[in-house]
Amino acid sequence: MVNWDKLGEEQVWALAEVKVTPQRDVGFDAIAERIYRFPEARTVYLMSGTYDLAVLVVGKTMHEVAGFVSEKLAPLEGVQGTVTHFLLKRYKEDGEIMDGEEGPKRVPIMP
Amino acid sequence: MKKRDLISKRVKDIPPSGIRRFFDIIASMDGVISLGVGEPDFVTPWHIREAGIYSIEKGYTSYTSNYGLLELREEIARYLKVRHNLDYDPERELLVTVGVSEGVDLALRAILDPGDEVVIPDPSYVSYTSCTVLAGGVSVPVPTAIENDFKVKAQDIDKRINPRTKAILLGYPNNPTGAVMDREELLKVAEVAQRHSLVVISDEVYERLVYGVEHTCFASLPGMRERTILLGGFSKAYAMTGWRLGYAAATEEIIEAMMKIHQYTIMCAPTMAQMAAIKALKDGEAQVQEMVAEYNQRRRVMVKGLNDIGLTCFEPRGAFYTFPSIKSTGLSSDEFAERLLLEERVAVVPGSTFGQCGEGYVRCCYATSMAEIEEALERMGNFVKRHRTQ
Ligand SMILES: Cc1ncc(COP(=O)(O)O)c(C=O)c1O
Repeated sequence: MVNWDKLGEEQVWALAEVKVTPQRDVGFDAIAERIYRFPEARTVYLMSGTYDLAVLVVGKTMHEVAGFVSEKLAPLEGVQGTVTHFLLKRYKEDGEIMDGEEGPKRVPIMP
Repeated sequence: MKKRDLISKRVKDIPPSGIRRFFDIIASMDGVISLGVGEPDFVTPWHIREAGIYSIEKGYTSYTSNYGLLELREEIARYLKVRHNLDYDPERELLVTVGVSEGVDLALRAILDPGDEVVIPDPSYVSYTSCTVLAGGVSVPVPTAIENDFKVKAQDIDKRINPRTKAILLGYPNNPTGAVMDREELLKVAEVAQRHSLVVISDEVYERLVYGVEHTCFASLPGMRERTILLGGFSKAYAMTGWRLGYAAATEEIIEAMMKIHQYTIMCAPTMAQMAAIKALKDGEAQVQEMVAEYNQRRRVMVKGLNDIGLTCFEPRGAFYTFPSIKSTGLSSDEFAERLLLEERVAVVPGSTFGQCGEGYVRCCYATSMAEIEEALERMGNFVKRHRTQ
């Protein structure tokens, strides 16, 4: 598990909610593949509910992430719309708490 | 005018701890790897901590019964039944204490008259001798040796018994050696206890930390329940050292006597810790087993590593300590520990801290990360190369 916040380099993460038009025979798979082939799309899930695909987008700057969404993702054929949420802080990821525990401060010598 | 002595003779006669000076050295150094700790490196499992937090949120901030929460005593009784097939009445035969530390003190004070002797395997945990002396007793060490994997022999106990002997104080799995006694050997000790009508105080705080062997609870041996004060705790098994909680199990007569002291000196063990301990007993087994598996891996690496660098080490089957011989260096255990710390920045505890028979050995604790263990072994290897005489 990498705590990106603790690494020196800046990274910007965003969750893009994508509404798409499913296609005959392949459903969401074809459009999902068009999206997940982009390296900027770090994680892609098909969701139930008010939108279809959840795309976790990563870039070096906010500008870069915004550019990907507006110039690559949104114009794709079959994409009806996107809503982008920038990630502000990570508390826990994949079961790991990022900053929660300091661990025991043990007395170094004890009988 | 002669200055009046402010400190009692009894306390003055207790020698200062030999390891205090290491604190100051460590405090002045960076990058020390400590194998000198005496507690788990794990944090208390979250759901146990959460039970403690919840008890505070709910406002459980008052005293409990002097004996401890009945629900906790019931859980302890259930645990002893399931694990050791022992029946203790939670109302009269169990006492919740502030760690096994308090249990040792209460047990000794409850049974000793001035001058009564307590037979204690050497080396052993440091508090046994001091608490015996503070209780007005006399401690009588029984040597143990690497040839017998630091297990105490019943015949050696037998030889030290006289009309003043009141008790045998056993601590297995052992701190500092990691030795575990098997059932056969304990049966022989039981026979000695029976023959001389002795009390046996059995500190089993490390009972859950055994590797590839069974822990035998002394009180579960035939006839021993009546003369055993069984001391158990939460510190080591559940990584709860800071919560300060343990328990004593014995006959009503003995528990009543221990409770008399406890009610005036302690009143009751911390309420939040008791609430957390209930959760630990009800729901902590999976985490205990995970931690034991982890200790076991580290134990193997440490024992092999120590033997490879020329610090011969018998295979400890319990607790989280190894007890390698340092004879190949020709240094005393105190010199070894000090020079290892200064030259290689690795902290260990001199074996002599735990009794005369610990001389020639150091205690290395493997309740620390694998990376630190490996680094420590490398540094110790360099140290031994430089100091090797044989
Ligand atoms: C053998 C032994 N008994 C008792 C204790 C103290 O345990 P507690 O935390 O339950 O007081 C320790 C702690 O290191 C120990 O090693």
